[in-house]
Amino acid sequence: MSDSPARSQKAQKVLERFAKKLNRQMVGSLLACVHCGMCTDACHYVLANPGDPTFAPAYKADQVRRIFKRHFDWTGRVFPWWVKAKSVYSDDDLEQLKDIIFGKCTNCRRCSINCPMGVDFATFNRMARGLLVSVGVMPEGVAVASKDQWELGNQMGVLREDYLETLDWVSEELRQELGDPNAGIPIDVMNCDVVYAINPREIKYDPRTIADAAKIFHLAGENWTMPSEGWDMTNFGLFSGDDDLGGAVARRLYDKVEELRGKKLVISECGHGYRSTRCEGQNWGGVDVDFEMESSVITMLRYIKEGRIRIDPFKNNKSYTYHDSCNNARSCGLFEEPRELLQIVCNDFREMYPNRAENYCCTGGGGAMSMSEYSAQRLKSAKIKADQLKATGAKVVVTSCHNCVDGLTDLIRYYKLGMEVMQLVNLVANAAIVKEKVTAALP
Amino acid sequence: MSGLLHFSEHTLQEAALIFMAIVYTLRLRWLLRFKAGRERQAPTGLPETSKARGIIYSWANIAMPWAMESTRTKVFVYVQFVVFHLGVAASIALSFIIPYVPKLLELSFFVRIFQIIIGTAFLVGILRIIRRVKSVYLRAISAPDDYFSLALLTSWFFLAFLSVPNSTAGGEWHLIAFFLLTAFFLIYVPFSKISHYLYYPFARYYFGKTMGHRGVYPIKHFPEIRR
Ligand code: SF4
Ligand code: SF4
Repeated sequence: MSDSPARSQKAQKVLERFAKKLNRQMVGSLLACVHCGMCTDACHYVLANPGDPTFAPAYKADQVRRIFKRHFDWTGRVFPWWVKAKSVYSDDDLEQLKDIIFGKCTNCRRCSINCPMGVDFATFNRMARGLLVSVGVMPEGVAVASKDQWELGNQMGVLREDYLETLDWVSEELRQELGDPNAGIPIDVMNCDVVYAINPREIKYDPRTIADAAKIFHLAGENWTMPSEGWDMTNFGLFSGDDDLGGAVARRLYDKVEELRGKKLVISECGHGYRSTRCEGQNWGGVDVDFEMESSVITMLRYIKEGRIRIDPFKNNKSYTYHDSCNNARSCGLFEEPRELLQIVCNDFREMYPNRAENYCCTGGGGAMSMSEYSAQRLKSAKIKADQLKATGAKVVVTSCHNCVDGLTDLIRYYKLGMEVMQLVNLVANAAIVKEKVTAALP
Repeated sequence: MSGLLHFSEHTLQEAALIFMAIVYTLRLRWLLRFKAGRERQAPTGLPETSKARGIIYSWANIAMPWAMESTRTKVFVYVQFVVFHLGVAASIALSFIIPYVPKLLELSFFVRIFQIIIGTAFLVGILRIIRRVKSVYLRAISAPDDYFSLALLTSWFFLAFLSVPNSTAGGEWHLIAFFLLTAFFLIYVPFSKISHYLYYPFARYYFGKTMGHRGVYPIKHFPEIRR
């Protein structure tokens, strides 16, 4: 892999690791692009920055592809200029690549489902992120969150005492709200039917979602628990492309569920957490798990269908629309259940267009909310989402993702849309009928 | 028929075909040396989605312009794609018909159909060149290989169009040029973007498998687009 001019150590490492990261899927995607440009309009960055080709998915993909071509493709190795193959040499080259693969793409996969050739740019963009991260080239926020997740077991640096204390006062408030001394959050109970894992954002900024989930589990008579350790279902490995981190974080949670001999892991509403834990973690960690995993959206819908909780939709009396998280919809196929649930718990649901697997990113995906250096660019590209939201005429946008809550809140403020952002758990808890208390799980 | 035309129609084509087959075999072996990623997790999504259905849907996508927003909203570009590739298929077929079943070209309706397909593909080729040069997005992603391949294919359509009647009444140059260019393609294609037809079934297979396993493919619900 010799190349002139002289190459920095970091660039050399990136190239060495590139070779190890390639698999057949990725090579297929790297080879199959015909530069047709059909994916261009699929990207919210392009739509918000008309005329700037550096935001086009194929252009961004080519910044990674040209390295592949220079080192692995026969034409690129012999006649690099003919296919625009180019290697990386300096730390500056890596910094420039960083600004594209972290700063100009949220890995939302919208271009992937719009490519006639089946090129999955988002997947190899994540791989490229991992290569840069392996040599310490990454946005500051990614470095901080990754470090916290490695060291403290959660990406927001929540300490064990703070976590347990929060669950404690949430339990206390729930007992008061329901007037039931048995209500609360069971911690580390063995052999439960459900082990519930959350996003650290819920502890830090949004404990209401924990209280609402606890209320729903209680009303459904669920035999459930939350772990005292290994409770973070989010995974910065998805954003940073670091499979080692991804695998370690996922295993921490899997191990805890196994230790508690839980029958099912229920994952609170979070797109990237759901994708990482349910769909990617086993692959990153190289493990198979024996228990079931599901999104709390599916759990709540089941409780309603089984009659374990009853709903009064008139309690949610505003107009609601639904934003599909990219990770839920485009990478895990979770788009019908949230709609079904939303239509049960409210009376005025307004669809957003396009939607489901074709929905636009909240623009805070792919870890973008942690990359403050690209905030201006992110908010500019959020115009597409803002227009989508506005067109619904709804007062509230509901989403099943904590990351999207932050992304949407930010853009709603920026574009002065005056909308509220909620999660399904808030609406279900609000609409749940408390009077007739259910004390045992139905068969 | 001159010796040069006979050589171009037969010996040269056969040698070029053998070369292409060898190169493609090597390429496929190289591609298959990369290990295929594995999805350990249980499937997600609705029961009507699965790996197998995802793969079939993904392969069939190319013939379902409604299935992707990109093709649904750019119908004219999609039609161009179809015509262009029909032109490729017809021109390839012609390179076998002329040397091996020339009798077919004595049927005037057959000649007409081939000329219409290849002639329209030539016009699409011109449109595609203009689009590639004019669009700021396409210019930014285009390499010399993109321009060269497109220009060459368009010229090939032109020569194929002239060669369809298989007539040497006005001279042999168009037939010789068509076969020389065909042979050049057979040798050049594995090293150019035109070899995408070898890779795209792979890319689509794996993408479809992933999306099927994850409950996204087949997409049942095509949302109305309101921009
Ligand atoms: S990624 Fe796909 S849609 Fe985009 S330019 Fe390449 S082949 Fe065309
Ligand atoms: S993955 Fe999303 S953000 Fe990235 S280039 Fe594709 S459409 Fe744009």
